[in-house]
Amino acid sequence: MRRPPPRFFVSHQELEGYAFVLPSLLMLFLILGFPMAIAVLNSFTPLWSEVKTFTLENYVKLARDDLFWNALLITFYFVGSTVLLHLVVGLAVAVALNAQIRAHQFLRVMAILPWTVPDVISGLIWRFMYNPTSGIINDLLHKTGITNAYIEWLAHPKLALPSVIFSDVWRGYPFVMIILLAGLQAIPREFYEAARVDGASPLQEFRYITIPLLQRMIIVAVALDTIWQFRRFGLVYNMTLGGPGHATEILSLYIYKQYFKYFNFEYASAMAVVLAIIMLVISLPYVRMMVRRV
Amino acid sequence: MNKRLLNLLLVVVMLAVWVPTALAAPPVQEKGQDYIVVADDWLSKLADKYLGNPFDYPAIVEYTNKKHAEDASYAKITNPDLIEVGWKIYIPSAEEAAAIAPAPPPAAVTLVFGDWHLTEPHWEKALKEAFEIFEAKHPNIHIELDYVSYADKETKYTTEIEAGVGPDVFHLHGYSLKSFIEKGYLYDITPFIEAEAGVYGGDFLTPWYPQTLELMQKDGRYYAMPGDFMSMVLFYNKNLFTEAGLDPTKPPTTWDEFVDYAKKLTRDRDGDGQTDTWGFGTVGAIDPGFELRFTPILFSHGGAYLTPDNKCAALNSAEAKEAFKFFVELVTVHGVVPPGVTAQNPGTVRQQMANEQIAMLLGSGWTPPIVDKNNPDLKAFEVLEAAPVPVKAGLKPEFSTTAWISAWMINRNTKHPKEAWELVKFITSKEMEQKWFDDANVLSSRRDVSGGLEAQGVKGYDKLLNDKFAKVIAAELAHAKFVPQLKEWPQIIEAVNAAAQEGFTGAKSPEKALEDAYNRINEILSVYRAAGETCPAF
Repeated sequence: MRRPPPRFFVSHQELEGYAFVLPSLLMLFLILGFPMAIAVLNSFTPLWSEVKTFTLENYVKLARDDLFWNALLITFYFVGSTVLLHLVVGLAVAVALNAQIRAHQFLRVMAILPWTVPDVISGLIWRFMYNPTSGIINDLLHKTGITNAYIEWLAHPKLALPSVIFSDVWRGYPFVMIILLAGLQAIPREFYEAARVDGASPLQEFRYITIPLLQRMIIVAVALDTIWQFRRFGLVYNMTLGGPGHATEILSLYIYKQYFKYFNFEYASAMAVVLAIIMLVISLPYVRMMVRRV
Repeated sequence: MNKRLLNLLLVVVMLAVWVPTALAAPPVQEKGQDYIVVADDWLSKLADKYLGNPFDYPAIVEYTNKKHAEDASYAKITNPDLIEVGWKIYIPSAEEAAAIAPAPPPAAVTLVFGDWHLTEPHWEKALKEAFEIFEAKHPNIHIELDYVSYADKETKYTTEIEAGVGPDVFHLHGYSLKSFIEKGYLYDITPFIEAEAGVYGGDFLTPWYPQTLELMQKDGRYYAMPGDFMSMVLFYNKNLFTEAGLDPTKPPTTWDEFVDYAKKLTRDRDGDGQTDTWGFGTVGAIDPGFELRFTPILFSHGGAYLTPDNKCAALNSAEAKEAFKFFVELVTVHGVVPPGVTAQNPGTVRQQMANEQIAMLLGSGWTPPIVDKNNPDLKAFEVLEAAPVPVKAGLKPEFSTTAWISAWMINRNTKHPKEAWELVKFITSKEMEQKWFDDANVLSSRRDVSGGLEAQGVKGYDKLLNDKFAKVIAAELAHAKFVPQLKEWPQIIEAVNAAAQEGFTGAKSPEKALEDAYNRINEILSVYRAAGETCPAF
């Protein structure tokens, strides 16, 4: 096949396309590009300086800041466990809701409800429920006679992060569930019927039909969920504010503190840049998949 | 025209609408002229066309009538709403019109006022009343309220001021004042202060406690005016004292006594086998309120946060170590604090007081009214008592407590600095500070309100000095020291705050937690040390 000759003029059609995307490009630049550029610039500026000279000192400081490494570690722990649990719980609920049972519409709505609550609000609600002396969780444990102690769910350094993760699983699984449920419904029933005729067990059906056909949906859900979980803020902010000590201090929270509480704008910017790079690397497979699809 | 081109045109037109177009100023005539009225003319339309302002039509009336007196060919306008076609009128030049225009009234100004007090109904009411008085005195100034929560105020103000906006006048506490000054967020009010008249034989600032004024300055320039000023004292519930067999007229004076009392007050009052009342409640959450509750304990043990030159942490002193250990062990060893201390903020501790879950707390003037509001059945004003903060046995430290201070400031972005200063001056006036005490039990940084100018023959506010809580708080102001004032302070106190949490939860021993905080603070302060200058090991 012959290659088309190189063109130096854009066609009518292309021009029209550019014209149509121009307003949204402008908006994108204004609300994303501009602040991003400022953040990157800030991160290379000395702390508390009025004059913008170039320096790497914020990044050097970052490497030596044990609280930053602590925050990074906790972030990975938090993101890893919440994404995994969102997937496990989301898949289980999706499979259950995909069964042709009575009231499945009603149950689906119920299962989505936690996702409709803003994460700030769910943080507040869970904090009340976890309260050692007046919270409903300890109250239930006391009433059922399981324990008589005031368990300090959010105050104990070993319990705080798992408690926060538990709340986040409740808050976040519906998103994964919705995507997977949509994927499940797209699998033709004939596959299962054929498998049954061949004598496949339900487990085999799940392993050899459901999972492979759902793979793409799982990747999409996990990738999006991972990106979102890296930015999770409101829930932890309202439940523990990073405490006790620094036991639940995820990176977004530490950045917030450096920026808005300690006013170290430049240092916080350097951290934000690092976080953005991590998120970019993690979202690459997802982006590549989306690009390949086109 | 094909459809595609039409679409393109549409987009171009849309873009054109987006681009802000500067309105061309109407051509203003330089010379006056005669004018014959035609159909569809009316005066304000002509004034707009020739003078650039429709409200200048009275000038046309006035000049035309003046001409009519000399020359009858000009019309006489008796009713500006009625002109006839064919009339000859005179439209003056813009300059002539300006000459007869009445002096404009002071331009109406709207000041935006930001304060976390607005989110608390009884404070909001008091402020609104004050602004009514202010607006009556300054009819051209209108105050618009900008509500912000205590925890979010720095976030909100920082974001807004960085963006070139924000309230004109706002209220902050001492905790972040230094950072705001250093960041250049505040308007330099020194010229306004210098222009004001003096009082009590001194200058305008004479009424204020000198230590409060010190905090408002940088390099001899003022950036804020002191507001509330209150020392931290011990509040206790005298009914719970009596129930526990303690004498309510003899509050603890040393920390040893305090622990004894607190243990006796920690009890199972309803007999279900579970402790339901504790001796002491305190803030253990990461919260700005932590500083005010821990500092009195540190100071009354003779400890300090930093060395006097602010170059190193001073938490390695025996006094500081003892104070920190004492604070942590109230929870871990003595068990006199309700479970969940690391989640307690000032509001929840006051709620515990209101519910009779705790018998003692460290607080100040704001404590009784809020406790009372949280549970009116308690009758807080009657049941609560105030006493000085206990000290370490055998020690008589110069400073045994700390003080809360707030400040009023003007945003550097304000377009109305003069009016903003009027508001700041008003809100910090003696009358308003007295009213603030009447309404909210808050003490002032003015000595002609809270006392301290007796030597100059100036008395404080009677009602305040006879109040059962206020008189204790006012007397303790002399023993109150501020925490170090440097822009890194929020980060430093949070290191101590986190160390306390690590101690409370047993994640680290008190010694280890304090040592880590000590090293972190020294790292933060390294910017103030010359190369080679080091801090001693913990």
